Amino acid sequence: MIPAQFDYLAPKTLDEAIALLAQHADDAKILAGGHSLIPAMKLRLAMPQILIDIGRIQNLSYINEDGGQIRIGAMTTHYQLESSTTLKQICPLLPETAAQIGDVQVRNKGTIGGSLAHSDPAADWPAAIIALRAELVATSTKGDRVIKCDDFFVDLLTTALEPGEILREIRIALPSGRTGQAYMKVAQPASGFAVAGVAVTITRDQQGRCQSAGVGVTGVASKAYRAVGVENALIGGPLDAQSISKAASTVTDGIAINGDLYASEQYRHHLAQVYARRAIEAAAQRAQ
Amino acid sequence: MAKYVGQRVKRTEDPRLITGLGHYVDDIKLPDTLYVAFLRSMYAHAKIKSIDVSEASHAPGVVAVYTGADIGSKVGPVPCAGALPGLKVPDYRVLATDHVVFAGQPVAAVVATDRYAARDAIDLIMVDYEELPAVVDVEQAAKGGPLVYEEYGDNIAYRLTSGEGDIEAALKASDKVIKQKIVHQRLIPIAMEPRGVLARYYPGEQELTIWSSTQIPHLLRTQLAIMLGVPENKVRVIAPEVGGGFGSKLNVYAEEALVGWISMQHGKPAKWIETRRENMQATIHGRGQIGYIEIGCKNDGTITGLRYNVFADMGAYLQLLTPAIPTLTGLMLSGCYKIAAIQMNVTAVFTNKMSTDAYRGAGRPEATQVIERAMDLVAAELGKDVVEVRRKNFPASTEFPFKTATGLFYDSGNYELALDKALGMADYKSMREAQKKARDQGRLVGIGVSTYVEICAIGPSQATPAGGWESATVRIEPTGKVTILTGASPHGQGQETSFAQLAADELGVDLNDVTVIHGDTSIVQYGIGTFGSRGTAVGGTAVFNAIQKLKEKATQLAAHLLGVEAAAVSFKEGRFSVEAAMAATVANSGGSKSEPRTSISIQEVALAAHVAHKIPPGFEPGLSATNFFEPSNFTFPFGTHIVQVEIDKETGEIQFQRYVAVDDCGKVLNPMLVDGQVHGGIVQSIGQALYEEAVYDEQGQLLTGTLMDYALPKATMIPWLELDRTETPSPVNPMGVKGIGEAGTIGATPAIVNAVVDALSPLGVRHLDMPMKPENIWRIINKVN
Amino acid sequence: MKIEGTQELRAARTRVYQALVDPEVLKRCIPGCESLERTGEASYSTTLRAGVGSIKGVFSGSVKLEDMRPPDHYRIVVDGKGQPGFLKGSGDLDLEDRDGGGTVVKYSGDIQVGGTIAGVGQRMLQGAARMMASQFFTAIEAEALAESNEPPPKHGFFRTTLRWLSGWFRRAFNG
Repeated sequence: MIPAQFDYLAPKTLDEAIALLAQHADDAKILAGGHSLIPAMKLRLAMPQILIDIGRIQNLSYINEDGGQIRIGAMTTHYQLESSTTLKQICPLLPETAAQIGDVQVRNKGTIGGSLAHSDPAADWPAAIIALRAELVATSTKGDRVIKCDDFFVDLLTTALEPGEILREIRIALPSGRTGQAYMKVAQPASGFAVAGVAVTITRDQQGRCQSAGVGVTGVASKAYRAVGVENALIGGPLDAQSISKAASTVTDGIAINGDLYASEQYRHHLAQVYARRAIEAAAQRAQ
Repeated sequence: MAKYVGQRVKRTEDPRLITGLGHYVDDIKLPDTLYVAFLRSMYAHAKIKSIDVSEASHAPGVVAVYTGADIGSKVGPVPCAGALPGLKVPDYRVLATDHVVFAGQPVAAVVATDRYAARDAIDLIMVDYEELPAVVDVEQAAKGGPLVYEEYGDNIAYRLTSGEGDIEAALKASDKVIKQKIVHQRLIPIAMEPRGVLARYYPGEQELTIWSSTQIPHLLRTQLAIMLGVPENKVRVIAPEVGGGFGSKLNVYAEEALVGWISMQHGKPAKWIETRRENMQATIHGRGQIGYIEIGCKNDGTITGLRYNVFADMGAYLQLLTPAIPTLTGLMLSGCYKIAAIQMNVTAVFTNKMSTDAYRGAGRPEATQVIERAMDLVAAELGKDVVEVRRKNFPASTEFPFKTATGLFYDSGNYELALDKALGMADYKSMREAQKKARDQGRLVGIGVSTYVEICAIGPSQATPAGGWESATVRIEPTGKVTILTGASPHGQGQETSFAQLAADELGVDLNDVTVIHGDTSIVQYGIGTFGSRGTAVGGTAVFNAIQKLKEKATQLAAHLLGVEAAAVSFKEGRFSVEAAMAATVANSGGSKSEPRTSISIQEVALAAHVAHKIPPGFEPGLSATNFFEPSNFTFPFGTHIVQVEIDKETGEIQFQRYVAVDDCGKVLNPMLVDGQVHGGIVQSIGQALYEEAVYDEQGQLLTGTLMDYALPKATMIPWLELDRTETPSPVNPMGVKGIGEAGTIGATPAIVNAVVDALSPLGVRHLDMPMKPENIWRIINKVN
Repeated sequence: MKIEGTQELRAARTRVYQALVDPEVLKRCIPGCESLERTGEASYSTTLRAGVGSIKGVFSGSVKLEDMRPPDHYRIVVDGKGQPGFLKGSGDLDLEDRDGGGTVVKYSGDIQVGGTIAGVGQRMLQGAARMMASQFFTAIEAEALAESNEPPPKHGFFRTTLRWLSGWFRRAFNG
């Protein structure tokens, strides 16, 4: 639990950070909240030669509503998202998800950008980000690049971020209409990570039927994913118990489910279905 | 009413601890300290063919690298205090020489100028291992399997049969005999503060001081003196703040001796602070029994006999008390019931894992789990209520001291009283009615009851390997401040507060005028330590006795100063007073110009004792008294825990609905400290019942090697605990106290398991092993294989 | 840990088999394989470099091919150790013709890890093993499809392997 030697750089601006990252390329790692990287370093499973701490850069921590979009700075902590009265009004899925991450200490230090860039397959944010169809803004010496969430999560701890890129902002279209949202998860009792976690947004049309749906699933496979089958099954449907249950039953279709000491593939599969159903029911109920 | 004793006095330890001002081992900084890091075996079982330390030795900051070959016999083996017939004790060297037998075993030690350099150099040591097949499963180890030690020819550490009564006849005469396999999974103690050692050797004085996070400073000093070949009176062990132990620091570890030895080699302080990874791999584990219960009963519910055949997992080596733990299980198998015949057959086996040893409860949680599960099995078999079956087999409160077929005499008890109080608090009848309604709705609601008794205040010296007494010195300083030196070594229990309460009341001084000193072998007279729920019942009694001696001495001097016979002096609220009748005589005697005094404060007496200008002939100056208290028996606290749970039928997840506990630990010095101990114990029980398990794979790798995988219960997982007490004094000590440190981990676990089994009983479930993970329950509910 | 699966490759069975037993190909296709030196009939010493960016774990050990029955079956045995621990694995590969051309590879094996990676990586093992197998076969397919006179394709395996390992390691620690 004693890390190997590293150099520590603390740029004051994003431009400076990008330049440092370009300069040090593969030898450097970005340090955000440090709740993934530092433990790995203490176990010497990660031994970066250089840490670029972006925690001292002004203006990477914010929650803004602007032109029908919610913009969240990458260094915004889980706690800031959890406690944002604005978000509770306009996009309650984010605070609801944040409140279920780890514990108080993790939420006080961990950041949404750090979590997404790390892309742990059982992290909570990816499910919400997928359900909300967010866009992620990466920046590098070449400028900004906007990545759709469906393209962002590539594989086990692998994102679409290129070497030299820093995730700087998350953009979410402002939910409108009769929209309801929910995030529900089974937490692994040791780590608090999602054994199965499902984030849902539902918008009803004037007749109360499902007009649009977003379903993001985490904890189940090697990366968070969109349950396209569930979304398609819901859209146009009546959102009654039967249709929800039927839609939820497809939540792992075509997905290679992972098993571990705590939950086998079979049990995870079952939990994903149950929690998908419960989250959809909650979101549908809230979409009034 | 006493001013302090019996009151919820806030812990005097806490202000410094919660503001970060306490000093744990790592907070103690000495100039020129060298840092030690250990290379540990990544294999559970291997031959060491060679070790190449050349690169590590030349790494920046590295002062020395030691291997087992360098140590040779310069440091004696890690001691085991077990003395069972036929016990095999492997030679446990502080660094492995040619054979490693568990993953995490120290193989080499790097000494460097800072802890980073020491750790860096670990990666530069090249060890050529020849991996050997590991034996992990306890029953497989007992049958044969790969051998941990070829030279023994088998993996059996010892076999033991204990108990009294004719078990064969008893089971034969039963109307029913119920059999059940039961698993007590391996647990990792995980004290908040890992182990740590700081050693400082003064070559001139030839004195070695060792700061260690230990529960037993004096026993450690004795053992380290033997291991290091240093005269015991040249070794000083200091246990500074100790951040929890739960038995895991009731031991003598290789690292403690080795860090001391390293300091002696270099004439400089040497420090090692355990990492959490090391803590999980290489600090003792607890439990680890697989047993087979046979319990006989009559149709009316009378228990006739109990047999428990158990395979006990020792791990690879025997630490201080490793082999003794199953014997404690054997002692407590009778629970709080009259059982004429009890037999335990232990097969203790070596496996390629970390040693097991005392973990909060130490053998008794296993016994209580056995008997409390067995009582539920009997109730289920006979179709009787679990409370009825228990009550039927209780000894009456008039039957104490109560002799068990395990050879114990329970000191005092009133099991029905605690049971009835708990049933009342829970409103058991309504609980059962509500359960019936819930079941009719298809819900899985369960109620679990455990009526436990446990053995503590360990213990009479005859029954312990190295003395079961405890010591205390109480003195009053010239300024009137009271100092208590206790041989107990509290590490979170709060005895700095409770002992001060005791002294403050007994001596009539302010609580803040009392200081309790512990854990420093150069300051405190020899003591045994804190474990086995003995701190207050044995250590506290020594304090109490020393105070009485002190008061006698102070009375003598007070009488002299007041000019009367000692018999004429009474002591109350800090003042010695001449009895009223006598006072009149003194006043009337006349002659003296100054008014004769009729009372004197204890502080004045203390000053006079030290100034010694006016002391009676033969009076030893100073005001101090010491007591070594040898208890005549253990004490046996008891109680009832009642739990209600509901299971999510869809997912198998368990929700607590009620938690009611009534504990009886005799007289109570500080109810808040007792509540705290009960809270902590129950929480650790919840951990064992639902979450915790040290999982090794087939090759002996610890898979639950971090707190990301090994699930400790968190505050949010704990139900509201409804606690109360009954108070049945112990006749074993003058205060009537019993002990409460482990009761929670002993009484709570079976109550939780019984509740979950009860919830699933409509599905035909009679037993579940721990941890009761949601997936397992889901499989049962949904008949998924 | 048991691992099994089926991989459908577009290349012909004989070519796939050839690729699967060719040390030069294996060197390029075994995730993270940095060197593969022949030490015997079908046994090799190897250096596997696991780590990308922040993670640098080097395993050295051996690769053996056993029970070779072209073009139907063989068994691969890998054994490596390094600072983060050790990893051992063996797998049986059975090749069949696929309907409509190509090859179906059925694999089943057992992977054991020890040391730090066992103690902290348990929950990532299955995903990591799956990812590794998929990378291996994707690379083999590419090799088998490649014309013999063409230069060997680049798989970026250092990168991907390091990624899976880094993922596996860091999996335990959320941000």
